[in-house]
Amino acid sequence: MLQQASNEDTVMPLRSDVDVLKARKYGKELAAALHFSPSERTIIATAISEIARNTVLYAKSGSMHLKLIRNGIKRGLLIIASDEGPGIADLKLAMQDGYTTSRGLGIGLPGAKRLMDEFDIVSEVGKGTVITMKKWER
Amino acid sequence: MPVPILKQEHFLIASIQDELSDEELVLLRDQLVNKVRQHRSRAVLIDVTVLDIMDSFAARTLRSIAHMTKLLGADTVVVGIQPDVALSMVQLGLTLEGIVVAMDLEDGLCLLRRREGQRHAAASQQ
Amino acid sequence: MDAPAKHRKERSSLLNALNIDQEEIDNRKDFLQFHEDDAERLKSISGLADQYADEVIEEFYRHLLSFEETRVFFNDPDTLARVKNAQKNYFLRLTQGSYGADYIENRLRVGSVHERIALPVKAYLGMYNFYLRSVFNRLTETYRDDPDRALNTFISLMKLTFLDIGLAIDTYISSRERTIGQQQDAIKELSTPVLPFREGILLLPVIGMIDSFRASQLTEQLLHSIRDTRAKVVVVDITGVPYVDSRVASHLVQTVEAARLMGSKVIVSGVSPEIALTMVTLGIDLGRIETVGDMQSGLERAEQLSGYKMVRVDPGRDLDFGAE
Repeated sequence: MLQQASNEDTVMPLRSDVDVLKARKYGKELAAALHFSPSERTIIATAISEIARNTVLYAKSGSMHLKLIRNGIKRGLLIIASDEGPGIADLKLAMQDGYTTSRGLGIGLPGAKRLMDEFDIVSEVGKGTVITMKKWER
Repeated sequence: MPVPILKQEHFLIASIQDELSDEELVLLRDQLVNKVRQHRSRAVLIDVTVLDIMDSFAARTLRSIAHMTKLLGADTVVVGIQPDVALSMVQLGLTLEGIVVAMDLEDGLCLLRRREGQRHAAASQQ
Repeated sequence: MDAPAKHRKERSSLLNALNIDQEEIDNRKDFLQFHEDDAERLKSISGLADQYADEVIEEFYRHLLSFEETRVFFNDPDTLARVKNAQKNYFLRLTQGSYGADYIENRLRVGSVHERIALPVKAYLGMYNFYLRSVFNRLTETYRDDPDRALNTFISLMKLTFLDIGLAIDTYISSRERTIGQQQDAIKELSTPVLPFREGILLLPVIGMIDSFRASQLTEQLLHSIRDTRAKVVVVDITGVPYVDSRVASHLVQTVEAARLMGSKVIVSGVSPEIALTMVTLGIDLGRIETVGDMQSGLERAEQLSGYKMVRVDPGRDLDFGAE
């Protein structure tokens, strides 16, 4: 179920792998509404897929917020994945390529960081995690 | 919708028709492994032309398919990775180790037949 | 008034192209301090505007046609009649009282029409100035006994016309920028053509300085060509590239890796000693990339990989120019 504050601001639940598919599909659509090239749209959708799955796997339940933003005349896409899950104990380790827990965090987070223009992750054990990413139009 | 898996000569061809959820990917893996065992296939060809995103889970699943089918004596060939997908995979840092890649179905089959030919030639020399 | 859906879609594309959303519209109005009371004031003189619209338009065109430069745009009497009518509507719209997205869209459309017929900006500005002066005279006359009202209404009108001028100039600029963009694209395509060499082999001779943006464009262009031509081998020749920085080098590596995932092999030819040194210094692992010294070697290698074998049959046999 999508809650839409406006056309450009959407919150989606992240509870199952199907939600991951929905999130990335919607992310791709939003990116198309901006002037992102097809290759950039694929990159955005891929990054969304990575962090959305991360949320579903670890926190079992969370939400994704997709929003059109602007910085002067430049427009961009803001993506926030948040959850109230167990949180990540060692962020530095988690952001290292190849680090895998039993569930396989693997390449997801550092990979998503590489794909996007801005990337931020805040996490507290027992409280939850918030991942924020942005990509700007050229 | 499950992925159709066709048997052709000694190969299995899986043509992905639509975006697959994590669960569907795992299902595909299990189905392929079972069929390889069932038909004693020598190779699995997975056509991903339709996929417009390949993320770490998909890559990992493909690698497991390759690993598992290898144990049963079959190679895995992935065909049809699209330009944008290839680029995002590289930027993400995904590799498809243990998997042979070809441009499309035609190419993939050509490659497999060549290998079969080489295998026969090598076998007959012994 | 409900416009048909298609028309609405077309119209909103102007707003889109110039990135003018509701936020931007409000921004511009705030900047000019154009508020509800201005809109109301303008609405209050709409009756008056109806009254003298024809007069103002006639005066305006008399003025316009007295100049050689602008007369040429209105040589045809039908055109002149049509334009006068359009002009009148434009004029009356100024006092209609609602200045939302529809109004903006209308102004942008008018601006782009003028830009397309190449009406110079100075003529455009001259037009607005004429309107302001005509209206000012009539306002002061009509509200002789209420000079404050005349002045305030005039100021509201001035704010609105400045909004219009800003929009009109934006359409001019946007159109210029679009042309520049198209020219730049054309230049880029020219300078890095992806050439089919033999069936299944592509040649990409890169010439000149490449920045990160151009490098990523090249990557996309190349990968799409690989798919479209089903090329199994690509020779990327960088003989004509004097220097690469770390970002361009990593783009190159990414291109090769991405092509590999598509089942195509990239050979990089023409790596100069300087570039080789740069790559090594940057710690870029070229281990998985096949490099050769020059384009010829690159092409020969590509042919070899593709199963071609070149055999020289007879030296110079057909080079008998000027034979009987």
